[in-house]
Amino acid sequence: MSNDVMIYANDLSKTFGSFRALDKISFEVKCGEIVGFLGPNGAGKSTTMRILTCFISPTDGTARVNGHDVFDEPLQVRESLGYLPQRAPLYLEMSVYEYLKFAADLRHLDEAKFKTRARSVVEVCGLAQVLGKEIRHLSHGYRQRVGLAQALIHDPPILILDEPTSDLDPNEKTEFLDYLKQIGKERTVLLSTHNLAEVEASCARAIIVSRGRIVADGPLDEIRAKSGRVRYVVSVQESAPGVYRGKGAPPKKAEVEDVLSKVAGVKKVGDLPTDERAHVFELVSDQGVDLRPEVFQAVVENGWVLLELHRDAQTLEDVFRSLTIGDERRNRKLPPLGGAPQADDDDEDDEDDDEAAGAGGGGDALVAKGDRG
Amino acid sequence: MQNILIIARRDLRAQFNSPVAYVVLGGSMLLLGVLVFWVPAVMGRYWELDRASVVPMFTYLPWLMSVFVIPAVTMRSMAAEKGSGTLELLITMPVRDSEVILGKYFAALAMVLVLLAASLIYPFAMFVWPWQLGALDWGPVGSGYLGCTLFSAAGVGIGMMLSSLTESEVMAFFMTLASLFVLYFIGSMVSLVPGGLGDAISFISFQSRYQSFAVGLIDSRAVIYFLSITVLCLLVAFRSLESRKWS
Repeated sequence: MSNDVMIYANDLSKTFGSFRALDKISFEVKCGEIVGFLGPNGAGKSTTMRILTCFISPTDGTARVNGHDVFDEPLQVRESLGYLPQRAPLYLEMSVYEYLKFAADLRHLDEAKFKTRARSVVEVCGLAQVLGKEIRHLSHGYRQRVGLAQALIHDPPILILDEPTSDLDPNEKTEFLDYLKQIGKERTVLLSTHNLAEVEASCARAIIVSRGRIVADGPLDEIRAKSGRVRYVVSVQESAPGVYRGKGAPPKKAEVEDVLSKVAGVKKVGDLPTDERAHVFELVSDQGVDLRPEVFQAVVENGWVLLELHRDAQTLEDVFRSLTIGDERRNRKLPPLGGAPQADDDDEDDEDDDEAAGAGGGGDALVAKGDRG
Repeated sequence: MQNILIIARRDLRAQFNSPVAYVVLGGSMLLLGVLVFWVPAVMGRYWELDRASVVPMFTYLPWLMSVFVIPAVTMRSMAAEKGSGTLELLITMPVRDSEVILGKYFAALAMVLVLLAASLIYPFAMFVWPWQLGALDWGPVGSGYLGCTLFSAAGVGIGMMLSSLTESEVMAFFMTLASLFVLYFIGSMVSLVPGGLGDAISFISFQSRYQSFAVGLIDSRAVIYFLSITVLCLLVAFRSLESRKWS
């Protein structure tokens, strides 16, 4: 283990009764990295984070945080990290200031240090207006900010954040991610989330877990390339409001589809929803070859008008879905009759919606492009 | 040590920030007054004793503590934290599990002792100011309060233990109430049960252990008994908190 490895996990396993929440997870996070920890509900994200913060112990395996073993030196581990658990469970009867003071006291910050740190985290987390308010009167978004503030109060080298943005509105999310990038320069951040767009916005690296195992770990580009497929979107003019500039009559949909499917290297052609002005198709090919020249040539040879042609790298979303698709099926399948019901990791939220909404958003964007043509 | 104080202070402040503290404080003082000055019982009514004594108060104090004060004060200490998830944030601060248990224990005990101290108002009002009903022998009063303090220490220990075993405050309240009720009132059965069983009951019962304090005797066996119960319960609470790691 080299010196700049801040979080080190080796073969971590955790079983709850007969349920295997983690199955030999190993990874490293280096100093200054912001790593997105992704996975469907119940995949083991929170369990991993709880092991790293010494809240629970692994059934097997070792983990070190800032060079300290989670088993032998839990206090040193906790001193070097700031942790925000899921849904930011705070003492509701305390005011924001009291809470920050309490966190600072437990971390043995002296009065002067607390003042400077408090000023800084209050500014960063936008808490100036609510400092004297009781936490019970705050919205979920603000509670999450308070949770983040307490995690930062002692200026820790490592931050472990479990779904820190789940209750924030879109503006707050953007603000938070910008801020994360800023503080992440000299810190190590492990961030779990459902929201893939957030990972793309703030992390250079992601770890994807599914059913207690790591299914992908690496820079985002590498993970995107993992599925090994490339997608092209081609849009050909179908009718023109003014003069049609193509040769002959505008093409029929079937003609275009036929020509595109004959281009060498195309594995699959699918049509995408559009209006009556254009035919929009999606081509899938293997990685490594660039089909754009061939596609362009084919359109030109037929005398059609090409409105749009672009190559889409796989989105993280696609990779995520293809890597973790089994989880969803497993969740819907009942155990055999008479068998023991499957134990569930109740630590995770049921927030599948994020994922679905993200996928829908991608589709809409595609349609919009067609419209513009 | 510092952490224990920080945690205890926070817990105590939380108690006083919630209406529970005031309801318990007001309610128990009122009940105590009613019981001591109105309701006839084994020891006779306060007014009928015709002596400068507060023994009736010491008869009712542990009773009140068992069924009301201690369950209400300890129910929140661990159960609420587990239920709302705040325990996770507390424990992932650089604190030891034992510091969490002790901090919460001392906060609950302090709360109960505040209440005990408030009950001093009765002997004070009757025998010092504004009324002077006679020359009160303060010796038994002192030993009575010592007994009550030891009783509270053990009772709060039991409450903490039970509170750490559940995530529901209501469950914690009723389990503590039932345990203390049984532990206290089996003492009344000693005379009904002959032989070894009776001895065993009187050994376990809080009531038989406490009785000597109420009349002015300090029994070292009882002191050790109450302290042992306290330590034992805190150990169980500690183990129960630790068990989250392995479940």
